[in-house]
Amino acid sequence: MLETINLTKKYEDGLLAVDRLNFKVEPGEIFCMFGANGSGKTTTINLLLNFIPPTEGTALIEGIDVTKEPLRSKDYVSFVSENVMLYGNFTAFQNLDYFTKLAGKRGLTKADYAKGLKSVGLQEDAFNVRTKNYSKGMRQKLGLAIAVIKDAPNILLDEPTSGLDPKSGQEFLKLLIQMRDQGKSIFISTHDIFRAKLIADRVGFMKKGRLVIMKTRRELEGEDLTELYIQYMEERPESEPEHPK
Amino acid sequence: MLKDIIKKEIQETITSAKFVFTFLLCAILILLSVYTGIVSYHSDQKEFSAAVALNKKNLESQPSYMYLASLGTKINKPPQVLGAISSGVDEAVGRVATVNISLDPNLVDSKYESNPVFSVFGALDLTFIVKIVLSLFAILFTYDAIVGEKEKGTLKLTLSNKVPRDRLILGKVIGGFISLLIPLIIPLILSLLILLVYPNISLAGQDWIRLLLMFLMFFLYLSVFFTLGLLVSARTNKSSTSFLVLLFIWVTFVTIIPKLSVVTAARLHPIPSVHEITAKKDAFLQQIQVEYQKIAINYTKENPMKKGENVKEYQDKFKKWAEDIQQEATAKIDANNAALELDYGAKKRSQVSLAINLSRVSPASALTFSTMSLARTGLDEHDRFLASIRGYKPIFTKWANAKMMRTLDFSGAGQTAKVVLDDMPQHKFEPETLSKSLARTIPDFGLMLFLIIVFFAGAYVSFLKYDVR
Repeated sequence: MLETINLTKKYEDGLLAVDRLNFKVEPGEIFCMFGANGSGKTTTINLLLNFIPPTEGTALIEGIDVTKEPLRSKDYVSFVSENVMLYGNFTAFQNLDYFTKLAGKRGLTKADYAKGLKSVGLQEDAFNVRTKNYSKGMRQKLGLAIAVIKDAPNILLDEPTSGLDPKSGQEFLKLLIQMRDQGKSIFISTHDIFRAKLIADRVGFMKKGRLVIMKTRRELEGEDLTELYIQYMEERPESEPEHPK
Repeated sequence: MLKDIIKKEIQETITSAKFVFTFLLCAILILLSVYTGIVSYHSDQKEFSAAVALNKKNLESQPSYMYLASLGTKINKPPQVLGAISSGVDEAVGRVATVNISLDPNLVDSKYESNPVFSVFGALDLTFIVKIVLSLFAILFTYDAIVGEKEKGTLKLTLSNKVPRDRLILGKVIGGFISLLIPLIIPLILSLLILLVYPNISLAGQDWIRLLLMFLMFFLYLSVFFTLGLLVSARTNKSSTSFLVLLFIWVTFVTIIPKLSVVTAARLHPIPSVHEITAKKDAFLQQIQVEYQKIAINYTKENPMKKGENVKEYQDKFKKWAEDIQQEATAKIDANNAALELDYGAKKRSQVSLAINLSRVSPASALTFSTMSLARTGLDEHDRFLASIRGYKPIFTKWANAKMMRTLDFSGAGQTAKVVLDDMPQHKFEPETLSKSLARTIPDFGLMLFLIIVFFAGAYVSFLKYDVR
């Protein structure tokens, strides 16, 4: 489970990147966070990963305060970034082996890695190819394979589908649904309204560091998400969240 | 986990194109420089032996001791076997000095004099390769060690796992350094093999220690740039910025500081020119010659051969007087020259030492001075050699004067006494001992270690606070 309680980040230059953010992602749930560039989505992920310290509030992973026990909290989370570059001179196997060991998983065989790679839809003939020759979609899949093999109960994804072609995007979504069905808490920061709509159990909209609206899949039924996005991002004045959790 | 990070660092580097390029270039340059250094030493050694033999033959062929005394003997500087690794100042300073009864000896005929174009580019010895080329490679290996991972996104991915930052930086340092050493160690081992198998090159036990200390200094020097690269990489947000900053520091360390130090020392401690000193020596020589010419004329006027005096006895008395007066005159010249040299030497030493100390801020200078000292091709060894020649000059002069005066022939047939060199005093020079060379290089080793610690600590602390976003 992922949770933020009054999470706030104010930078030294005075910029309030995240302002009293409260949300929770339950196991078996996909939460998609929308927002314009600079709205605080990525900062939220950075705070959850303890890459930056919060000014106020708490970020919790499986109930562990990430600022108090940063290393322990990381046992329970996987991260897939916007543009997974990995080590270009390494093959998929080598990258997977390295990051799996960093995640503390030992004793996995090549067959285990191959299974993980296949599970994300990576073609077998690409396993031994240096990842610098990979397309973005292949790299994203490998990034997800690293998360799959780590098998953490929480997954943070930062713009994971940006730049993916329709087929790769579709495959990627299927994988996320599979992981959700395995009981993982999945937090996705994205601009991709169309794809998010297909998988999100809940969506949130961030504006100037604040969560301005949060809606469940049921609440979204019959609503035009694009319309909603435009309405909240551009017209609606800053306000308290409609459905704070 | 540390092992995994180290392994990854090594694996990532050795599979990269820059490693292959570095390895090949290192292998070619190191082997080429050591091989040419050895060949050059071998040829210098042959040249040295030939010059010593020729000098002996030349002295023996002189028609009289007077010719020998004025022509003088030539002292050749023996080449140093470790000059193959660090040629130091040996190629720029003179290799041969003429010791005669009148002129103050100086080392002339440097390699650069023989072929001035060499002085433009300098020697391609191993020290040069390490100082210029390998230090650049050390930068090339580390400029993006941290900031590059940030740009790629792998740093975030790595730290999203249970990886303590201190362990990550330690792994990067160890792995990165091993990767840097591979292209260095293999050609160096091959170079040692060349040194071992090359005919007529023999290294004494002390030379091996000196060589190992030189190699240690190379590693420390490269570690300085390696840790500096990490530090800058951990303080910047773009790898291009990191590279530019490092390039600027490299240029400052390798070229600007050493050159600026020499210029600054020359301004702060000016010394008289060599021509000025030579002019003073010449003026004194002329003054002594005039003075003793008068004394000689007066002597002959005041001590004419008395009637009935035995010619042989009179000539012997004159010879004794002439020898004493000659010894007195040359002793005065030597004393004056020594005093001038002492003063000039003190001023020069003060300037040189200021330049060296100022330039020691740069690890490149510390590398140059330490390897020169260890190879016995440095300024100090040169000064010691020159001092030994100047110390030998009065000994030679005394012997030559005595021989010259005792064999004066008044028969009118000219001096025909055969020149015999059996009792001619020989020039002796004891090269600097290892302990003294080591003592001289301790500040350089200390500086390297200090810089490594400072840069590593800086990189370590910076990385702990590094913004990975």
